[in-house]
Amino acid sequence: MTRTSSRVRSSVAEIEIGRYLPLYNRLSDEQQYAYKLLLPGLAMMLLIHFIPIVWGVLISVLGVDSGYVSQWYEAPFVWAENYRFVLDPRTVVGERFWYSLRQTVIFSVGTLLLTYVLGLTAALLLNQRFKGRFAARTLLLLPWVAPSVVTLLIWRMMFQQQSGIINSLLLSLGVISEPIYWLIGDNTIWTLILVHSWTQFPLVMIMLYAGLQSIPEQLYEAASIDGAGRWEQFRYITFPQLKPVSAVVVLLMMLWTMINFTSPYILLGAQPPQSGQVSILYIYNFAFSNYQFGRGAAMSVVLFAIAMAMAMLYYKYLFDQDFTEGDR
Amino acid sequence: MIPDELHLTDSGRETLFKLLSKGVLGCLLLYALFPIYWMILSSFRTRAEITAAEPSLFPFTLDDAADIVQDPSVLPTLLEYENYLTMWDRFPVFDYFVNSLIIASVTTVFALAVGCLGGYAFSRYRFPGKIGVGGALLGTQMIPGILILLPMFLLFVWIQETLAIPLIDTYHGIIFVYTTFTVPVAIWMLRGFFDSIPNAIEEAARVDGCSRFQALVRVVLPMAAPGIAATGMFVFLTAFNEVLFASVLARGDVTPFAIGIQSFETQTTAYWGEMMAASTVATAPILILFILFQKPIVEGLTEGSVKQ
Repeated sequence: MTRTSSRVRSSVAEIEIGRYLPLYNRLSDEQQYAYKLLLPGLAMMLLIHFIPIVWGVLISVLGVDSGYVSQWYEAPFVWAENYRFVLDPRTVVGERFWYSLRQTVIFSVGTLLLTYVLGLTAALLLNQRFKGRFAARTLLLLPWVAPSVVTLLIWRMMFQQQSGIINSLLLSLGVISEPIYWLIGDNTIWTLILVHSWTQFPLVMIMLYAGLQSIPEQLYEAASIDGAGRWEQFRYITFPQLKPVSAVVVLLMMLWTMINFTSPYILLGAQPPQSGQVSILYIYNFAFSNYQFGRGAAMSVVLFAIAMAMAMLYYKYLFDQDFTEGDR
Repeated sequence: MIPDELHLTDSGRETLFKLLSKGVLGCLLLYALFPIYWMILSSFRTRAEITAAEPSLFPFTLDDAADIVQDPSVLPTLLEYENYLTMWDRFPVFDYFVNSLIIASVTTVFALAVGCLGGYAFSRYRFPGKIGVGGALLGTQMIPGILILLPMFLLFVWIQETLAIPLIDTYHGIIFVYTTFTVPVAIWMLRGFFDSIPNAIEEAARVDGCSRFQALVRVVLPMAAPGIAATGMFVFLTAFNEVLFASVLARGDVTPFAIGIQSFETQTTAYWGEMMAASTVATAPILILFILFQKPIVEGLTEGSVKQ
């Protein structure tokens, strides 16, 4: 242990970054040490995040198709042709891509609303004192902890049209008169929201729960002296105090749902219906079924740009609001 | 929340409110746990029982349950554990499990090693560009995977053909990719855990003659063990669950569980019983580990979100 750690230490110490990066020599000893510790992580991110993204943008302006998979560098330069093609609603691909973007927005907004309602309800309940509170918290976290590949397949089994337990329960309760197709046809997107929300609501719950615990007790004491009931306390104290955490929840759930691949891919199986083809799944199937990497990359860049624009708009909105509220 | 028209006394309102919350909590628990219950139940059922028009919601009939209460030794004869025996022969489940274990555990070890160094640097030092690096770390979580997958696939094919280094369908290829994807989260989570360890600990170690690096490895890391375990579990789960990259870069001999399990449902038949048996085998250890070590895991996850 001692020998290996001293060997690692000396090898860390011997990296002479200063020789290659003159700016590095201007840093203090401590700052240089911090960068040395970060070096492996940064190097990996450069290799697997930064380079492929730049490469992806490059490929999106090249005509890479099945003929150029192993010689992508010989593919012709086509300017914005790929973008024009995938964004043109008159072509089949363009029309389907626009449709998939619409489904993506429904998917992320729907999931956000459902997980927020479920997560907030659960967090408020857990924030009360009762026996078995800790056990309840543990059990409510299980949907998020259980491997999602497994739980998504359970839901797939339960939503089968003929043999699924959900149709059979709804039939015997008299809610529906004949079995519904949950995983085929136009309903699919709603099924997807329902199932994805099941896997994600515990995360929202635990974040909001932590937020609730940080609200000072005195606020409630003062409010109850003023005669505020439960609803007023929630309306004027709890909800406004949760705003910073809620902001993080809204941003993360929207973005993470938008770029989620696992849920639609596993839940909808080998032949996903159109309605369930959110953008990332559509791009995946399109790019790998006919090796249209150039056009696939163009669509990925569009999706990325939308996600980033959303994040930025949202941050700007939050910032503006905080600013005006501070003025008052 | 309760309408005034009911004319309830204060204590009456209180009781009604408590009952209502208990009811809502019960519904939530049912929603959260039913699929897991249904998985375990289905894994002990024959195909005929699973595809029955009106499947029973309970594992036993009332008569059987009465028998079990009288004499617990009849339980094994009433359970249908056929699925747990046939799945190994019908599908290469064992290989899937081994592949997943190899990929996820090696990823965890590497991600923790890199993440501990980075997280420590973030927690203890101020350096120029810290905000930029932190933003880049969080930014990686907002990139659609497909944007990286397409160029990376071409890159891997290219390296394979020009440099003759096999990368597609190999353990090292997918492990390298997973390590990189999990390092940013690992750094972020570990930073939170290191923050909660007072700086004085290292100062004392330095006075006793430890170097900076020794103080980290010998004093700080052991103290952060619960946090490291929590981060490790998170990384392991992420690697275990990943399907986008695995479906392209880890086929053939290295197919992990997450991809292999889908082959239980073919074009013509679905082997739900076997699928649920394999799923139960995969899920049980994870849930048990979580229940045992949940405190640091939950803390580590909420740390980042609430602090900001």
